[in-house]
Amino acid sequence: MLVVVLACNEEFTESKAIGALSDEALQNELGVDLLLTSAYSVLDGENNKGGADWHKAGDNWWLDVISDDAHKGSTDGDQADLYLLETFDWTSANPYLFGKWKAIFAGINRCNSVMNVIGKIEGTDFSAKEAEARFLRAHYNFELQKMFVNVPFISLENFQATEFNQPNPGAIWAQIEADFQFAIDNLPDTQSDAGRPTSWTAKAFLGKIKLYQSNWSEALTLLTEVINSGTYALLPEFADNFKISGDNSIESIFSIQFTADDGQSYNGNRGGTLNWQGPFGCCGFYQPSQDLVNAYQTTGGLPLLDTFNQTDVASDYGINSDEAFTPHTGSLDPRLDYTVGRRGIEYNGYGLHPGKEWVRSAFVDISGPYSAKKSIYQESETGNMGTGDWGQQRSGINYHIMRYADVLLMAAEAAVETGDNATALTYVNMIRNRAKDMTYVKNEAGTADAANYSIEPYASFADQTMARKAVRFERRLELGMEGHRLFDLRRWGNAAAIMNAYSTNEARTITSFNGDSRPYEEKHNLFPIPVSAIDLSGNILTQNPGF
Amino acid sequence: MKNYLFRSLLMLVFLMLYGFAHAQSISGTVSDANGSLPGAAVLEKGTSNGTTTDFDGNYSLEMGSEATLVVSFVGYVTQEIAVAGQSVINVVLVEDSSQLEEVVVVGYTTQTRGDITGSVASVDMEEATKTPMVNAAEALQGRVTGVTVVNSGSPGSAPKINIRGFGTSNNTNPLYIIDGVQTDDPDVLNSLNPADIDQMNVLKDGAAAIYGARASNGVVIITTKSGGYNMSKATLSVDMYTGVSRVSNLPDLLNAQQHGDMIFESLINSGEVPNHVQYGSGSTAVVPSTLQGTGIPAPVNVSPGGTDWLDEITQVGQTQNASVSLQNGTTTGKYFMSAGYLNREGIQLNTGFKRGSTRLNSEFKISDKVRIGEHINVSFSRQGPGTNQINGALRMNPLVPIYDTAGNFAGAYANSNELGNTANPVAVLERAKNDYNKNFRLFGDVYLEADLMEGLTAKTSISGSLNSFNSRGFTSLDPEAAESISTNTLRQGIDNTNSWTWTNTLNYSKTINDHNLNVLVGVEALKESSKGDGVSRTGYLFETPDFYLLNNGSGTPNIDFAYDSSSSLYSLFGTANYSYASKYFVTATVRRDKSSRFKGDNKSDIFPSFSLGWALSKEDFYPVNAMVSRLKFKASYGELGNQTLPADNPTINISGLSEVYANYALNGSSLSTGAFLSDVGNPNLKWETSKSTNIGVDLGLFNDAMSISLEWFSITTDDLVVRDNSLIPTTGPDASPPLVNSGSVKNTGVDFSLGYSKRADSGLSYNISANISAYKNEVTEWINAFAVGDDFRNGAITRTEEGQPISYFYGRIVDGIFATEAEVAAAPDQNFVSAADGVGRFRYSDINNDGVINDDDRTFIGSPHPDFTYGINLGADYKGFDISAFFQGSQGNDVYNYEKIFTDFPTFFNVNRSTRVIDSWSPTNTGASLPALRNGITNSETAPNSFFVEDGSYFRLKNLQLGFSFPETISDKLGMESLRFYLQGTNLFTLTGYDGLDPEVNSNRGNLTLGVDFNTYPVSKILSLGVNIKF
Repeated sequence: MLVVVLACNEEFTESKAIGALSDEALQNELGVDLLLTSAYSVLDGENNKGGADWHKAGDNWWLDVISDDAHKGSTDGDQADLYLLETFDWTSANPYLFGKWKAIFAGINRCNSVMNVIGKIEGTDFSAKEAEARFLRAHYNFELQKMFVNVPFISLENFQATEFNQPNPGAIWAQIEADFQFAIDNLPDTQSDAGRPTSWTAKAFLGKIKLYQSNWSEALTLLTEVINSGTYALLPEFADNFKISGDNSIESIFSIQFTADDGQSYNGNRGGTLNWQGPFGCCGFYQPSQDLVNAYQTTGGLPLLDTFNQTDVASDYGINSDEAFTPHTGSLDPRLDYTVGRRGIEYNGYGLHPGKEWVRSAFVDISGPYSAKKSIYQESETGNMGTGDWGQQRSGINYHIMRYADVLLMAAEAAVETGDNATALTYVNMIRNRAKDMTYVKNEAGTADAANYSIEPYASFADQTMARKAVRFERRLELGMEGHRLFDLRRWGNAAAIMNAYSTNEARTITSFNGDSRPYEEKHNLFPIPVSAIDLSGNILTQNPGF
Repeated sequence: MKNYLFRSLLMLVFLMLYGFAHAQSISGTVSDANGSLPGAAVLEKGTSNGTTTDFDGNYSLEMGSEATLVVSFVGYVTQEIAVAGQSVINVVLVEDSSQLEEVVVVGYTTQTRGDITGSVASVDMEEATKTPMVNAAEALQGRVTGVTVVNSGSPGSAPKINIRGFGTSNNTNPLYIIDGVQTDDPDVLNSLNPADIDQMNVLKDGAAAIYGARASNGVVIITTKSGGYNMSKATLSVDMYTGVSRVSNLPDLLNAQQHGDMIFESLINSGEVPNHVQYGSGSTAVVPSTLQGTGIPAPVNVSPGGTDWLDEITQVGQTQNASVSLQNGTTTGKYFMSAGYLNREGIQLNTGFKRGSTRLNSEFKISDKVRIGEHINVSFSRQGPGTNQINGALRMNPLVPIYDTAGNFAGAYANSNELGNTANPVAVLERAKNDYNKNFRLFGDVYLEADLMEGLTAKTSISGSLNSFNSRGFTSLDPEAAESISTNTLRQGIDNTNSWTWTNTLNYSKTINDHNLNVLVGVEALKESSKGDGVSRTGYLFETPDFYLLNNGSGTPNIDFAYDSSSSLYSLFGTANYSYASKYFVTATVRRDKSSRFKGDNKSDIFPSFSLGWALSKEDFYPVNAMVSRLKFKASYGELGNQTLPADNPTINISGLSEVYANYALNGSSLSTGAFLSDVGNPNLKWETSKSTNIGVDLGLFNDAMSISLEWFSITTDDLVVRDNSLIPTTGPDASPPLVNSGSVKNTGVDFSLGYSKRADSGLSYNISANISAYKNEVTEWINAFAVGDDFRNGAITRTEEGQPISYFYGRIVDGIFATEAEVAAAPDQNFVSAADGVGRFRYSDINNDGVINDDDRTFIGSPHPDFTYGINLGADYKGFDISAFFQGSQGNDVYNYEKIFTDFPTFFNVNRSTRVIDSWSPTNTGASLPALRNGITNSETAPNSFFVEDGSYFRLKNLQLGFSFPETISDKLGMESLRFYLQGTNLFTLTGYDGLDPEVNSNRGNLTLGVDFNTYPVSKILSLGVNIKF
């Protein structure tokens, strides 16, 4: 018997890893597909590095909270870390920043792993697959760049050499551009899967990168090519962009493909799981600001570019649902009531918004009386609905990382900066005319408009300054509550002025907001690098100035 | 048959003697606890008149009626009995626990206590089982030098054991050998009835090298009781106790009015005009008579003073234990069987642990030279529910009652009600009462032993363990909660673990004159496998356990986890003991292990050890009547390994399919399967190796009435296996970092123990023993700058780096609270909005003197390692009464009281706080211990800092027992051999300056995160009444 044991001992001391894929097993076309799918999978932020779903959200909702578009929602003490972000009391230990940081690098390295495997397979042309990976990597790096500004670049070579501790001397625009350029050159013009980028998608993104670097003419060229390609168009109905029926429509450039796949819904929008109130119970986050609501006031169908905060849209802040409330009678941009849920207005098929009863924050909290609307399902579209294990909502509505309206407005912006006001006017009016021609929110009986809506295209832009103002304002109106605002403010260089004015204005109607927020300083144009990231890098990463 | 004849003949002789002799003839039986003792010496005192007992322990001797009988036997306390006219004197000898001749199981072999040259400590199980134990490892606490035990208060959770410091940042569980079953899973001991244990020995140094690659954390060898051959009759023992356990120390929380005042002061300090849903908007907080706000179904009355949630979640738990054992033996067979039942209710509602176990140990002689035997242990246990609501009870708002007026659970109903978002902890515990972790475990061995020739024995044994674990958890709807769930969920999990070991040994022992040699060689194969999965499903119509089947849910079932893994080890080993005239001792051991966990050359390694002993007191020149009656020096050196890793295949990269992390709806609607890299491998990984040196001296004083043992040790562990978070840092992929050999750690220390026992002529006997252990832990080499422990809110608390102990606390130093604006203005910049904003806030030390307080000002703020741990055991008995007391403690360790970020700071604003916040800073209370109250965290005050570091030293009366044994005259009448009742108290008092619930902090996190107190289940105070009966 001893002999038997001795004889089989070579085999005896080998144990297989059951259910695991080895590196070798992935070195084929199937392996490339599996890894590539997982690179897409992190678009929503969900990854294996821990942290709460909402910290790593792919739809950037809490970055709107930091901007003048939204408040955190719920009570001040609920998710106090977000309260600290909203009120500019930023520390390097804030778990929101760390969650986002880790999620972005999970994405970057999943792309690197695709490229790594492709490099090891001989005899097959994977350039289109590689282009998808590089497109995604550029997207992740762009998210990183926008947030933290001085960032490390983790290359394929770093990945292969397991050298992830790289310094963060500054911007990585060149690397991001190179990836998008590769994607433009190697992606097909059409894809059978709606979730994959095409060469046009990549071109639109490269245009955005140029825009972020104030490289106006190149941006305009790229974005104009996309516009002129005829690949995309505005949907007749603005609101369809935020319905399941509008998923992957002709207006969609690139979206996170959320699906409410029943049960615990791993692939619904887990990052936005807190952002539900009213009919849904939990959790009351992501409330639009009064400032955003005020921005939708119109006169003669046009926005009050400089004076929108001199009058307030009537708010039910401080008024309980069983107390009387007189709705606003002034004229409003009809997009308001597809963006913001407010008292007395129909709410995505769930009936009239009753005000306070549906709002989780109390009057002493900073978040005010409004509810988000674009990220909330339509009552009729049950296919969008998903729940988590404690009953939270995980929506199947796609999040538009970029939609065609955004492309038009970026092109308009680039046009303004290159002195071409006429082109800017055309693009801005395309947006406004769509809003004008769409179906407006109706009253309860369905007999008339729910509010005094009035919107008209601009007749002309008087000068570049006015054009610039109009284009920037239109971005806010069209793309409000879609996760872009903070980065727009940062790149326009006027974030401090706007945010500090916002802080004062907001406190006028939402009195509890008074005094909570610290001033916005230059240092707030960059987030602090998470302290745990610096620690684990062995101090190779350096902290951003001011933190 | 031969025996029978012999016995008959003897009887005949007795009868004849009785019939013819008128002189005093004394006869009787000599026995011990296990039965008759053949070969015991019986002597008339002061004469050479004597005899020895026969096979059945009988003796007969003629002597004068005033004479004194002296009965002695090796390993037993010698007894003297005055004849005083008696003709039958039965003597029960008591084993001498301090005896040097005690046979100690040291692995595959046994050695007599006096011959041991390594560091081998033994637990006095008879004394240890006086304390109501769930897990036998609890017996090690304070009773064995060099062993640090941190208990968990949660019944059925295994304590954390460390032998001689922290030699690894990885697994530090010692290897447990239970009658040959080998495992480092401390939960195994939850399946073992402590009353079945005969010996529990701990190999602390190179002596453990016989277990090679698994021995570096020490080896605990447990042998269970067996019957004896040739017992005169069966012995039936019944041990029972029943008692109650209660929580020993609850912190004071704010009552309703204090809570309202705290909220108001916080709001005012934050520049707000108080306007609170519950407490109103007046000048002072007014406690409402009913909860205010939205979503409240019916009037919910606030209890006068508020609800004391800690009191509400705790209960007086029942404790019952019964264990029955039977043992007997004939000339050809012996057995021990037992059955036990334990029910330990926890001190939190519905928590507890129940265990039923049975054991059968037997051995049979097939022939004079061949023996076959087995040990079988079967146990079934139920632990549940898994939830611990201490943290919830600390945080739950005091205004909320347990129930509303309709009898439903009350809660916060909505976040806007400003009652916090903590779930009603009583509701959580009540709803979880049908949740369980059930465990069925069978382990044991079968062996065959044959004497091949004089001194040469071969043994083959197959041991195995089967463990079937199944768990159920149901998440019920909680409509009263601020964040109520919208669907209920049933979760079930099944894990099956099994292992087998096949061991073959050859043992040769030979004595020639004064030369004594014992050699053992062996070969062993071991395989461990585990497989399991967990499923959950939502949407249950009924929330009753009768309905808890997965097929009754309506949601799509989810597979929460599934795994299948195994590992194997193949080993060759040998050990040789040589001694000369009981003066000089040499032991040499070598083991070669080959493990499936590693690759190539790293698969196998050789672990040698060597030890020497010198009994100076046995030398001829040593004075005969020296006060130091025994003096022995010993020294050992050994190399030991640690191959237990948190991964079975650590050398390869593993990518996996994942529904959660890798799938994506590429086409917008249906999911595509994805795979991602989940574990990074390290092909060069090798096991940790410890080099252990031990030098000791054993002393016996006053004819060995006092024994002293002093040992010095040094253990250097190289190639420490750690997940390298620096290699796969936050900028890397979302994969588990590889295990790497990342450095060395050195533990040096001293173990000291002292024992004294005395039996006075008056009949009073007493004993005292004390032990003290100290270790110093230092990381001597680390490949990275440092490693960090687990991530908490605000980042990691612990850090490990060269020149420091493992897992020291790292953060800012709080050196006071700013009292004036001038102080703030003069101090380094802490990023206050204004100087006024800094008044009443923590002032941090500017460690790098750059005038700015930021992350670069973090430093060493404490160490979780004690200066020393100790135990003191006192015992006495007199005329049937016995008393024993056991004290135990730890000195000089720091605890990071993380719980304070919830109880002392507004991490969650509207939740409850400790009464400590009454001493918050204000212009009229500038000497405060806490900063000024605020409505949110400011100034990073809950980030790791020295405020949260407290001295965790404690001194605890672990056990106090008072017993009474009925005189034989009474027990005889009741048909019993002995009868004893006792009253017993556990954890009766604890002296500590620690603010938390319990200084014994078992965080159940890895060894890079030691001493952090978060949601610790406190140990309980247990009072019980027990009886020991022997038939």
